[in-house]
Amino acid sequence: MNFLRRILGHTTDTLTPLDDDIVITRGESVSADNPPAPIVEAPSPPAGKAEKKAGAQVADQSNAPTELGVDSLGTRPLPPLETVVPKPGQRLVFGQLSDVGMVRGNNQDAMFSIVSSGSSTDDLPDFGLFIVADGMGGHQEGERASAITTRMVAKHVIQEIFTAILGQRMNDPDRPSIAEILRTAIQQANESVTEEIPEGGTTVTATVILDDLAYIAHVGDSRAYLITHDGIEQITRDHSLVQRLIELDQLTPEEAAEHPQRNVLYRAIGQSENLDVDAITRRLPPRSRLMLCSDGLWNMVSEGTILTVVSEHSDPQDVCDELVRLANDRGGPDNISVIFIQVPG
Amino acid sequence: MVDTQKFAGHLPEPPAGEGALQPGSVLQGRYRITGVIGVGGMGSVYQARDLRFPNVTRYVAVKEMLNLSTDQSMREMTLKTFERESDMLASLNHPAVPEIYDYFPSKTRAYLVMEYINGRDLEAIINSLTDFMPVETVLKWALDLCDVLGYLHSQKPEPIIFRDVKPSNIMIDQHGRMRLVDFGIAKIFQEGQKGTMIGTEGYSAPEQYRGEASPASDVYGVGATIHHILTRRDPRLEPPFTFAERPIRETNSTVSPEFEAIIMKALEFKPEDRYANAAVMKEELDRLVRPGFGDVRRAEVGPAKHETGEWVQSGVKPLWEFECEDEVRSSPAVYRGVLYVGAHDNNLYALNINDGSFKWKFPTEQRVVSSPAVAGSENLVLFGSLDHLLYAVDSRVGQLSWTVKTQGPVQSSPALAHGHVFFGSDDGSLYAVRLASGRIQWSWPGGVPIRSRPLVTGELVVAGLESGDIVAADLSGKMVWRFKAKRAVVSSPLEHDGIVFFGSLDWQVYALDITRGWKVWEFRTGKPVVSSPAYGEDKIFIGSVDGSLYAIEAASGKERWSFQTEGQVTSSPAYYDGAVYFGSVDGKVYSLEAKSGQLRWSYQTNGPIPSSPAVQEGVVFIGSMDHRVYALKA
Repeated sequence: MNFLRRILGHTTDTLTPLDDDIVITRGESVSADNPPAPIVEAPSPPAGKAEKKAGAQVADQSNAPTELGVDSLGTRPLPPLETVVPKPGQRLVFGQLSDVGMVRGNNQDAMFSIVSSGSSTDDLPDFGLFIVADGMGGHQEGERASAITTRMVAKHVIQEIFTAILGQRMNDPDRPSIAEILRTAIQQANESVTEEIPEGGTTVTATVILDDLAYIAHVGDSRAYLITHDGIEQITRDHSLVQRLIELDQLTPEEAAEHPQRNVLYRAIGQSENLDVDAITRRLPPRSRLMLCSDGLWNMVSEGTILTVVSEHSDPQDVCDELVRLANDRGGPDNISVIFIQVPG
Repeated sequence: MVDTQKFAGHLPEPPAGEGALQPGSVLQGRYRITGVIGVGGMGSVYQARDLRFPNVTRYVAVKEMLNLSTDQSMREMTLKTFERESDMLASLNHPAVPEIYDYFPSKTRAYLVMEYINGRDLEAIINSLTDFMPVETVLKWALDLCDVLGYLHSQKPEPIIFRDVKPSNIMIDQHGRMRLVDFGIAKIFQEGQKGTMIGTEGYSAPEQYRGEASPASDVYGVGATIHHILTRRDPRLEPPFTFAERPIRETNSTVSPEFEAIIMKALEFKPEDRYANAAVMKEELDRLVRPGFGDVRRAEVGPAKHETGEWVQSGVKPLWEFECEDEVRSSPAVYRGVLYVGAHDNNLYALNINDGSFKWKFPTEQRVVSSPAVAGSENLVLFGSLDHLLYAVDSRVGQLSWTVKTQGPVQSSPALAHGHVFFGSDDGSLYAVRLASGRIQWSWPGGVPIRSRPLVTGELVVAGLESGDIVAADLSGKMVWRFKAKRAVVSSPLEHDGIVFFGSLDWQVYALDITRGWKVWEFRTGKPVVSSPAYGEDKIFIGSVDGSLYAIEAASGKERWSFQTEGQVTSSPAYYDGAVYFGSVDGKVYSLEAKSGQLRWSYQTNGPIPSSPAVQEGVVFIGSMDHRVYALKA
């Protein structure tokens, strides 16, 4: 009956309200079967323009004690939402690790993470920004491309989202949508890479977390996985030739894993001036986990093994360490990067 | 432009020392190297002078194939294959196939001596273009290309498959004739690529990535090449196999629909859906240049979508129809075998869904445009009327239970949740009324008319306002957030997985974080959006006054497809079992495949349809301004 409490403000029967405007007319069934129920009625605020907080005054007028510990002036806090609202000691936690692997001489992957969490009457959301980029190209061009990309994306997101949250400007209707901000961030990184490193390229998978919503933008084949009690789900779609062939029923995932052209991407940063960026939004259920990784991990460690590792380790850093170790045990032919994020709940 | 091999980073250096042939060196005492035509991963192509003709300058092309395998038996096998292919090429006789003069192997490589073609390849020609190539020229190239490939495909006992039809393998010589170069012999030397690369081949058919090639694979290559020339969109820069998403005439209107249709058929994903071989494709192309034949065939080649729709439509017959005394703009609600719908004749009707027979009607003082909601456990049907009242009527017998009086017409449709009914009024307030008693729990003053159906979740009530605001109040009526669209929001919000979706008269469809009202994405249509969204198969379906129904990916805000009707789409779609149903002001009820937007059927009524369908147990119920309510088989 939680919802009822929220509607009524409380569930006691001691109220004597009734606004004269409320009319029960012509009805007969009210009296017999449905005796008038306890009502908490809001006084009609002055008609006319709705003030920003007008709704806030519409509340409980009674002096009756309430179960919610609400004071009698209707200034009680918002009821707790059944979504992920961090409580003290409960916040986003993450681990991360980037490793050169067993074969390559250099690490062309780049990562970036930032988390902010707090508690105040401003009710700011938990904020997280996580980026994985997998560079490609000889002569240090790959690592330069991934470095520029993580830095540029982080800069733009922090300016346009994080600073806007602190400045309480997120509700400004003329602001670009969050998906658009992420797309722009990646497109700006693309412009920089195209200009500064014409022979280099990189994938990028970037996630902004605002409380329980994850905004994910990506190009290339670095992946984001969502792990819930239902299992593991790849929530990004690789921009690779073999992925397209799978979607067209021309290859099975098993064939793709062995395909000689499995590393061919059709979309990446540094490819061309016009870059189409995938931007998706997913709700993160309480206690779910989000994982970003480069292909050095997912090529070597199966989804089933990832689930096993996740179930055996409670510390997100341990999960990262173990996954990288497994990829290296299996040959570690490529750079391996992983960011593992635990959602509170 | 991107070099498709740009990130390979492992191309063998041109063979050094013993490998690379220096200008001036002589092969077999006969061919003096004069230059390099091209360098590839498997060897180089040189220009050489044939010394057997000392008195004239006769150039030949010498193709060098590196046999890099370290395994002895593998090397021998490769050589055998190369020899066989060379023999085969030497036996060909077609003006577009270069002549083969000589063949000789050495320890680590093999050489093929052939006709030197003085000209430019199509890739260089495309890159030098500043405008579209004249369509007649492209059509001639397509015919020439099909002619030579058709010749290869007709070889016995096995057709020869070129395997690598693309602009860089097609040359136009100094006499303007088309020549095919680089017969895919290199393929047999090719090993798997290593390292991540950006860019795909762009012209190869899907099945070739499974190692399968047929004459139809070459047909795909012709289609891809001609598509590139006609649209000037390089397929190597696009997601692979997406030609169908780039209709030729969208970028180049000088191309005839017939020519476009032939190219698009050549580009079908499945080989069996293409022309079986290049000769068959050439026959089709021939009809375009021979007037008189084209007209006859046009109907077969052209897209038949519309005709299909009309044909299907004739099969749709209403299961029943019911005539009210005036227009039906309200959307039906169906509950336990009964359909409830309001009409401009002031009545709320209750009909038997099986046969459309009349059960009862309830008269109000004004028109009923609000769509009813049924509270099952209370046996109430709730709806608003322009007479300022919200009515609660016994759903079984049509007897009035209670009403709520507001200060303005009630156009908003009620939403039921938590034992309450939530609705807006033109008096500017959002009301929460207890179903059991009809008493107002709270009202929230929006200040401007509220005409959308509120969305009620476990936590929030979200409603759109005529001012363009969309507000979320908690269940005690206290405002939690507010978002401002630029024009009125009459579209009723829908929630899915933490995101709320709605349209606005400002032409946009919005997605907001439901806990904070922050904009997740926005999608612009061509006109105001009155229609309310429906969800299905990870997509949001919504109509626009621009006449289209849109399918937008819920997670990304990207259009998946759109379907154009001949009138405004103010009706809200319903998703049911893989299909989308909606009405249009063009008077038709439409059913589309949810996945693709393909028309399943349409049904023409005699008036515009702003009403939204209810679908239940395989039957679509919808009202029309022709006064009727229709039941159609879904």
